[in-house]
Amino acid sequence: MVILWGVAALGAAFCAMLIVVRRAQRVLPPIVLPPGETMPTTALQRLAWQSLVPIFLLTLATAAVVAYNGVAVAWDNDAVRLPATGLLVAALAVFTYYIGRVRMWIIRDNGTLDERDRAILSSAPAGQAPAMMVTLAAWMIGLIERYHASHLVPSAYLYLIFWSLLMVSILASLAGVVIGYRRS
Amino acid sequence: MAKATIRNEIRRLRFEHGEMTQQALADRVGCSRQTIIVLEQGRYVPSLLLALQIARVFGTTVEAVFTMEAGG
Repeated sequence: MVILWGVAALGAAFCAMLIVVRRAQRVLPPIVLPPGETMPTTALQRLAWQSLVPIFLLTLATAAVVAYNGVAVAWDNDAVRLPATGLLVAALAVFTYYIGRVRMWIIRDNGTLDERDRAILSSAPAGQAPAMMVTLAAWMIGLIERYHASHLVPSAYLYLIFWSLLMVSILASLAGVVIGYRRS
Repeated sequence: MAKATIRNEIRRLRFEHGEMTQQALADRVGCSRQTIIVLEQGRYVPSLLLALQIARVFGTTVEAVFTMEAGG
């Protein structure tokens, strides 16, 4: 039941992020390209997609592992907890690579990023805070409803809350870049 | 305050300058072709620096490339 709350939290966080990003944008005319021509992608756009997809899949895989085994088993059993943590650490490694590349482009200022890329990078975190707040609220409501009678919340949830907030924050920042190119 | 719209003549100026491609213009002003595409289509308003660089490529003034239209 609580896992369902977790999934609902992630979904709600993603929706909140989308709404915030969309409302922050102006209404823009559609991009019209000649027949047969596709919109060229920028280096930052490609990197953001190449980071977002594996991080999303790794997060989803971790959620599936925890959901399949149950929170208690996932927390107590090293054979479940360690691989799940490994998946999340792999996601962090991908994000670290993304941050490193972007920072290198910014520091070297070799023309890889133009002013629009930088503007999109600056506005990308707009959805992070709302997504994290929604996630936290969903966890709080879910855990209170589930454990209100016993007054005891298993400590495993501290671990899950931390990781879910971290991954929501990372995914929201990457999605902000991807959405930024579609909306500007 | 009425909203203003920025229009530009980049597409026309490109064709008047030897049918310059979007990529060639992007290379000369140091931005991506995608930025030129969204600029031409009025989806992105450039910085003053980029506007000046574009005007310089076409050998004209910023006002000749970009015009502001006050909206209702």
